Amino acid sequence: MNGAHDLGGMHGFGPVNPDPNEKLFNHEWERRIFAMYFATLASDIYSIDELRKNIEIMDPVHYLSSSYYEHWVESIETSLIDRKIVTKEEIAERMKKIDKEAA
Amino acid sequence: MPTITPEQIPDLVRKGASCRVDAALEPLFKTGDKIRALNINPATHTRLPRYIRGKEGVIDRDHGVFVFPDTQAEMKGAKPQHVYSVRFTAQELWGADAPQKDSLYIDLFEDYMEKT
Amino acid sequence: MGAHHEPPAELSTRVKAIESLLIERGYFAAEALDKIVQIHEHELGPRNGAKVVARAWADQDYKKWLLTDATAAIADMGYSGAQGEDMVVVENTPDVHNLVVCTLCSCYPWPTLGLPPTWYKAPPYRARAVIDPRGVMKEFGLDVPEDVEVRVWDSNAELRYLVMPMRPAGTEGFSEEELANLVTRDSMIGVAVALSPSAV
Repeated sequence: MNGAHDLGGMHGFGPVNPDPNEKLFNHEWERRIFAMYFATLASDIYSIDELRKNIEIMDPVHYLSSSYYEHWVESIETSLIDRKIVTKEEIAERMKKIDKEAA
Repeated sequence: MPTITPEQIPDLVRKGASCRVDAALEPLFKTGDKIRALNINPATHTRLPRYIRGKEGVIDRDHGVFVFPDTQAEMKGAKPQHVYSVRFTAQELWGADAPQKDSLYIDLFEDYMEKT
Repeated sequence: MGAHHEPPAELSTRVKAIESLLIERGYFAAEALDKIVQIHEHELGPRNGAKVVARAWADQDYKKWLLTDATAAIADMGYSGAQGEDMVVVENTPDVHNLVVCTLCSCYPWPTLGLPPTWYKAPPYRARAVIDPRGVMKEFGLDVPEDVEVRVWDSNAELRYLVMPMRPAGTEGFSEEELANLVTRDSMIGVAVALSPSAV
């Protein structure tokens, strides 16, 4: 698809700005979604191509303004729902439960 | 699929999951062939970026047979085919202002190309 | 654009919810996730790739093998697997400088380089590496002479690329370990050259 992910040759994004002191992960949830990316592929729940596709169908403004690991959260969630492993409602309910327990 | 345990992880990491397919398919192209990338605009998943479409290049090498992402991502099958490293001049891609000597190599699936 | 940004707290909860549902359904153990993180955060990294390059600098036969069958030659060093299943190594020479990018996502050779830096995954590099590679390399302090061919490799399929930088002058008689200290992550992506011995 002619999406926001197809970046080759675009102008206007500014300099590359490498940060020599950056860490591999900035939040614990980044570690967990990274590991789930690996584990769900190893479980053959879906293909890597489905995961890439489900990043690409993100809203373009959201895609460009969110981090790499947030793309993975979106994509893994969409792919799990597509494959009927979980439902949107189950995730929402579980989030409420987790928030309640933390309160 | 049984539950994945921590003991299995080192082997899973070391083994990975190649998208290479063990199939003796006759390649459509060979090193040195002149090709044109198709000008296609599927609304579905593809690994043919816009900046390559319609451009002319030369087959540099044949990487062998791989799963085709365009169909695999849409759950329409693996459609295995050859993948080639294809050389495009920077001027072909970006016009006469690009450095004359520079080039770009990209891996293209057979379905993305036609002979010129 | 800010309106689309999800607060990190909510993201964190979402990830926890997905994890707990998948564990409940028997896909994996939480400890398996810990192990995946541990390997990728602490065991893989550009030191692996540096050892491969150093061996190729020191051993002509190994270099030939690496340039013709990178996957097997790299596996011979003990590095293989996820996101490095099918490898290609491209050699910098006095006439050719190579640069690797993935414009469509962020494909990167994990077994030899570890997980990619943020800039490699972000739009500026992915957008510009193909249309203005020389400008991008200048931002990293690398000015490639005009008479050298810049070759950009857009790794958009399932092959993963590693640049073999040129061996720096003044390293005759160096051990493989000393040579490996000169090979940086950036030099194996192509945005830098190997360090000179005086720099370490």
